[in-house]
Amino acid sequence: MEFKQVVGRRRSIRFFEPDKQVEREKVQTILEAARLASCAVNAQWLRAIVVERDKLPKEKLDQLKTPVAALTLDLAPLHIYFFCDLGIVNRIKGERLKELVDVGALAPTHGWSHKFVDDFVYPQILAPMTQNREGYLAAAIADCGGAAHMAMLTAFDEGLGACMNTPNPGLVKGVFGVPDDWVPLWVLLVGYPAESWEAGGQRPRPPFEELYFEGEYGTPFKRDEKVVERLKDEGMIQAPAPLPGRQEEIRKLAERFGLPL
Amino acid sequence: MQTWLRGLREQWGEEPDDWEQRLRALAGFCAFAEKDPDTVIKECVRESEAGMRIRLKGRRFYNDKIAEWQASLPGDRPAQGRAGNAVRSFLIHNGIFLQSGMQT
Repeated sequence: MEFKQVVGRRRSIRFFEPDKQVEREKVQTILEAARLASCAVNAQWLRAIVVERDKLPKEKLDQLKTPVAALTLDLAPLHIYFFCDLGIVNRIKGERLKELVDVGALAPTHGWSHKFVDDFVYPQILAPMTQNREGYLAAAIADCGGAAHMAMLTAFDEGLGACMNTPNPGLVKGVFGVPDDWVPLWVLLVGYPAESWEAGGQRPRPPFEELYFEGEYGTPFKRDEKVVERLKDEGMIQAPAPLPGRQEEIRKLAERFGLPL
Repeated sequence: MQTWLRGLREQWGEEPDDWEQRLRALAGFCAFAEKDPDTVIKECVRESEAGMRIRLKGRRFYNDKIAEWQASLPGDRPAQGRAGNAVRSFLIHNGIFLQSGMQT
């Protein structure tokens, strides 16, 4: 699928074919994409535990089901639990930054050297940053979000549906027995959609000019309608929700899966 | 119950054609739980400085109670699930976010 179509087609899928398993090669492809995401100081905070729902012991699945998450966990055959490994920065101590220097991704042209990393970046910036848990957590989680989003887009590129949810962090830590310095983040629910891929249409968003500015705050970035038309042709901007028939689709899904209306 | 009815109308744009069945289900559940509908909602929320909050223990209690009630009903599982879902709908349209899994 073309990149713009992937972006245009992505929307949170909440009804999955519960018994149609996701092929292992597609799962790997999703994880490969996450690994290649842009990452500050090349630290790679994101960790993931892939769970095939039907292979998870029933008592563990039941532990994860709460009154706010029972349905999505039931419907999605594949769960990818994402974590932030907060300990990584003090374990690698700038080594992965020096790898970037070695391969020419960071060069003296931009001020980079091994000595700068050893003498300044790690001891004076990164190590102290990890002492301020709140600020460090915000930065690391933002980084993880970019990687997790790469994973999510890749799921759509592979013809799957996906939805990012926030599980109960305490339950997730307990069920998967992760190290103490792993912070539970999100679960990416993945599967083949039971709803149409349009899922009711592209979701409403605030007006473009309300979000983006040019040069200074208060000067909206002017949206060129010709560009909008091109993006419609290329599949990035699609028919907005609600599409005709969405309510009927929800009724049918509710009937099929035994859900309240 | 007015909030429930209003929520159904707003969601679906029409009068629910199974309203009487829904009311019967809710009445059956309330008798089982020995609570009236307003009390069920009240026990699922609490006031806080920031406004109304969902009371997690209350929601879990009623989530489990609905499951217990529907399992006690005659009929097959889908029929039991439909009755339970009527009560879940009552909670949902009163603002109590609830997911209880597939009732099939």
